[in-house]
Amino acid sequence: MSHRADRGHRRLLAPVAAAVLLVSGLGMVGVAAATQQGPPPEVPSASAQGAPADATARPAPAAAAGTPARAEAPKPRRTGRPRAVDPAPARAPAPAADPVRLRVPSIGVDTDLLDLALDADGALEVPEDPDRAGWFAGGTAPGDPGAAVLAGHVDSMDGPAVFYLLSALRPGAEVLVDREDGTTATFRVDRVVRYPKDELPTADVYAATGTALRLVTCGGVFDDDSGHYRDNVVAYATVAG
Amino acid sequence: MRKSLAAAAALALPLAFPATAFAATDGPQMYVAQLGELNDSGATGTAEVTLDGDQLTVSITASGLLADQPHAQHIHYPEEEEGQPTIEGTCPTSADDADGDGFLSTTEGQPKYGMIVTSLTTEGDASPDSALDVTRFPTAPGGEESYDRTFTVPEGFDAAEDLGESVIVVHGIDANGNGEYDAGDLGASELNPDLPAEATNPALCGALSPAGDGGVAAGFGGTSGVENTGLMLAGAGTIAAAGGVLIYSRRRSAQA
Repeated sequence: MSHRADRGHRRLLAPVAAAVLLVSGLGMVGVAAATQQGPPPEVPSASAQGAPADATARPAPAAAAGTPARAEAPKPRRTGRPRAVDPAPARAPAPAADPVRLRVPSIGVDTDLLDLALDADGALEVPEDPDRAGWFAGGTAPGDPGAAVLAGHVDSMDGPAVFYLLSALRPGAEVLVDREDGTTATFRVDRVVRYPKDELPTADVYAATGTALRLVTCGGVFDDDSGHYRDNVVAYATVAG
Repeated sequence: MRKSLAAAAALALPLAFPATAFAATDGPQMYVAQLGELNDSGATGTAEVTLDGDQLTVSITASGLLADQPHAQHIHYPEEEEGQPTIEGTCPTSADDADGDGFLSTTEGQPKYGMIVTSLTTEGDASPDSALDVTRFPTAPGGEESYDRTFTVPEGFDAAEDLGESVIVVHGIDANGNGEYDAGDLGASELNPDLPAEATNPALCGALSPAGDGGVAAGFGGTSGVENTGLMLAGAGTIAAAGGVLIYSRRRSAQA
């Protein structure tokens, strides 16, 4: 074996090793970037009081006073309920059958619904399973007068969850709730609003003068210190027809 | 007020029952209502009621009310007969205008929202006896009402059971648009002949619904920020190593 040949091998070794390292390094970064999950879509926050954002995503109360839509709102309370059976005046607390499934075709949601309660602090629970949504069973049933509240995660520890695209919902989008008795209640999205959690307008979310549905998830900035998102995103919907 | 109550309770609970804080089921419970106009009052508002033990905190925010006139307001509850199914309190509609005069009186609304449980006065007695004591109700300066008061739950009212079926009603309209309560077109109140009907006809109504307090924790952050950080760093490290190897080999060949 000549000294020279050995040197020749060695001369090749470094560039080849460098090339292999470079390619595999680029590959790793590439895979990491390709599997990077984009943040959920965003809606303007309603937090800044009187900010221009409010014009497009405006919570109902004061601003709507006296408009025709408002004047009609209380009327559908009794007559507008999509009910299969209609027992006489005295009615049970929750005449609409319990919801079992939620479908929001425009954002690909199709999930069964868990029953949600309030936790010890009085806050609404969210399903542990990030792929399922839940219904606040202590409140209004979808299709009953008032606001039925459904909640689901925007993401899990490692990717999108059931309400990942909630912020992308457009006004007019159809929201379908299948109920235990085989009937389906149909709602249409009015607006989607993002609020800092401590400014969530509880009365607007949990109550309505008509028959309504609310879909709630998280949004805004994820606070690494608290391990929670800072905002909530609420899709407001009203019963169709 | 409500927030501080809830926060105080949340803080106090773990101290009092450190081992069972999460098993507690009787923390504060909130109820909310959106108040919709009756009698074309043009008013709008929201109500929040928090039940904490035997204390009831009621907040009402409203606008568009007849300004500078007392607005009697109450929690109503439709008592059901023994053995009869639960009646959920609701708000009347124009269909409930029994005498067809174009206005809903308080009496005409009663089949829907029931009788008075608590008079939401500004001070003193809050029983049904104070239902029309117009000297102790908010006067809505500028048409705005911002009301907040804490009561002891009245005896005989099972608040935890019945608040979710109760209704908040705010009274007082201006049917003839002259800026004050008067006998005008509507005459005297059916409830008290000394008061004009304008003073007692309902202006706002909203059924209470149970509600969660505060925000909802509905995300783990798996799609926020940079994921796969391990792989990213490994890739970057490997690229740096490639550079290192090249530089090293260049130096060696330069020396050689």
